[in-house]
Amino acid sequence: MQISALPEVFVLGLSNLRRNMLRSLLTMLGMIFGVGSVIAMLSVGAGARHAILERIGQLGIQNIIVNSVKPPQEKKSQGMEENWIDRYGLTFDDEAMLREVCPTIERVFPVNLVRKPVWFGSSRVDASVLGVTPEHLEMFRLRVGRGRAFTELDAQSDAKVCVVRKSLVRELGVLRDPLGLTLRIGGYSFEVIGVLEDEQFESHTRKALALDDRAHEVYVPYSTSMRTFGIATFVQRAGSEERSVVELDQLIVMAASPDLVYTTARILSAALARAHPRKDYEIVIPLELLEQSEKTQAVFNVVMVLIAAISLVVGGIGIANIMLATITERTREIGVRRALGATRSDITVQFLTETAAIGLIGGIFGCAFGFAVLRILVAFTGWTAIVEPHYFAISLVISAGVAVLSGIYPARRAARLDPITSLRYE
Amino acid sequence: MSDSVVAIEGVEKQYGTAETPVCVLKGVDLQIPRGDFAAVVGASGSGKTTLMNILGCLDRPTRGTYRLEGEDVSRLSDAALSRVRNRRIGFVFQSFNLIAQLTVVENVEVPLFYARVPRRERRRRVEALLEAVGLSHRLHHHPTQLSGGECQRVAVARALVNEPVLLLADEPTGNLDSHNGAEVMKLFHLLHGQGRTIVLVTHNPEIAAALPRVIEMRDGSILRDHAKTTVAAAGGA
Ligand SMILES: Nc1ncnc2c1ncn2[C@@H]1O[C@H](COP(=O)(O)OP(=O)(O)O)[C@@H](O)[C@H]1O
Ligand SMILES: [Mg+2]
Repeated sequence: MQISALPEVFVLGLSNLRRNMLRSLLTMLGMIFGVGSVIAMLSVGAGARHAILERIGQLGIQNIIVNSVKPPQEKKSQGMEENWIDRYGLTFDDEAMLREVCPTIERVFPVNLVRKPVWFGSSRVDASVLGVTPEHLEMFRLRVGRGRAFTELDAQSDAKVCVVRKSLVRELGVLRDPLGLTLRIGGYSFEVIGVLEDEQFESHTRKALALDDRAHEVYVPYSTSMRTFGIATFVQRAGSEERSVVELDQLIVMAASPDLVYTTARILSAALARAHPRKDYEIVIPLELLEQSEKTQAVFNVVMVLIAAISLVVGGIGIANIMLATITERTREIGVRRALGATRSDITVQFLTETAAIGLIGGIFGCAFGFAVLRILVAFTGWTAIVEPHYFAISLVISAGVAVLSGIYPARRAARLDPITSLRYE
Repeated sequence: MSDSVVAIEGVEKQYGTAETPVCVLKGVDLQIPRGDFAAVVGASGSGKTTLMNILGCLDRPTRGTYRLEGEDVSRLSDAALSRVRNRRIGFVFQSFNLIAQLTVVENVEVPLFYARVPRRERRRRVEALLEAVGLSHRLHHHPTQLSGGECQRVAVARALVNEPVLLLADEPTGNLDSHNGAEVMKLFHLLHGQGRTIVLVTHNPEIAAALPRVIEMRDGSILRDHAKTTVAAAGGA
């Protein structure tokens, strides 16, 4: 059989499939599920990889983030609720200590977090005010959409400037260009110099960056924040007032290189454990997130590979079965073709092409099915899925390959039929 | 005879197992010269179809030799026999054996397809041939839409499309009424007039009587081989 004749044989195969539409479709079901799983698996895998890389990019592959956390409440405070001040978290001494014990640290960036009301005219919004170093915004890829981020110069002069979230501006009812606007933050006037794009962060990133879903964020220079608001935070909750004093709300430790992240983290956590028996801090290692997610991904992949493999095997058996039936039905046609000069290999190629057609069409439907499943999956789980064009090519190759493999035995059987016997077959 | 299309000698055909062989052909010798038009007659089960299958290279003799145009084809491989069937033999069956899902044109194209003739060339030849057998108005019909006579004419066109040296027909009028049968026989006579070599099995004594040569079989052997010299000579010219 010549290669040039294949398209014709293929078209013939298609018309044979069309004559038995329902049967062909049922035959393809296994193929459709198998290919659908392959598509879903590849896309979800790529999506997860992309998401995790994005997250790591956001948090910095070289970074170790140490957050101060409120330790579990000690019950002895019952009687003295009035002026109770909760003091916990990282201290300035810790910062100095860490630099000293850990030579693999390249830099340390402090963050001062306070909660303050922000006023514009008569409208008020409660916000998280983050005092950060000038590098912070860029390091965590917080994009300044309009205006500018603050600089070293702003930091040195304790300038009362701020970069705010777009949603905060909207919430405050500002209709004009917010740049240059003056906001009252915790009783002080700040000039808006930049507006951050509203971004959707994954909860993990949000937590690591001390962002709060309920409050809006305002970024001010660290030195300004320390001088203006200090380290005490008051939170009113259900009638009672909680006061807490945290010297360093967050410490971002940058290792000298990505290779040194784990070493640094080990030394750092040992040193902190010694200094803080209360465990009033937590350590987030972005690099570690990658490994966790890869583990989750591996479980998903095993499940999908199993589904795909089982479906494809079942699909292949279905195809073999249907082809055997087809060959019995078409025994006479085979005899006629042999009498007219078809060789055994002509017959083999004809039936293999037909199974390849089943496989390809099943593969195409499978792609569509996989795509639909993917959309549902994404809608329900919120996973990221990335569909690359070559997944379709891979799926089609797999489905056609499985189909051709399952067609080999039936096709060879057809080819070995004796022409005379086949011609006599009723 | 050097210009024999078919020359078989001592051809035997056995079916069944080695212990209980069924001898269907028992030493057949036969020569068919170029341009001959022979009828094969005989009772049912006398081995006519078996002989035709061997002549048509669909089957190989158990013993004996078969020379097609001087070339021994009795021991060829399956692939080589397929090629011989494709290029040098045209076969017409009692039950037409058209492929139901193909159109008339596509059916006639099948042998050309296996001969690797390019599509365009195929169409051209097939349409010319179908016109010659009077079916140009049926090109894209399916066999189920045709009468028996038309089906058999399509089958004849299919048998001729590769310009075979030998045209074999096993009871071509067996499934046709007398009118359609006569039409098909007219076509065979026309082809014979054009110099084709034809061997035709028939049960109809009238049809046999009209042919220049009648080979009568009984029980796996040739009982009588009767040629009307004048017509045979005219056919061979
Ligand atoms: N494949 C076969 N196996 C066994 N017996 C066969 C086979 N083909 C034909 N025969 C037998 O050979 C004899 C001749 O058959 P056939 O050539 O078809 O006769 P005809 O065409 O003259 O009626 C019959 O008795 C038939 O049963
Ligand atoms: Mg017969």
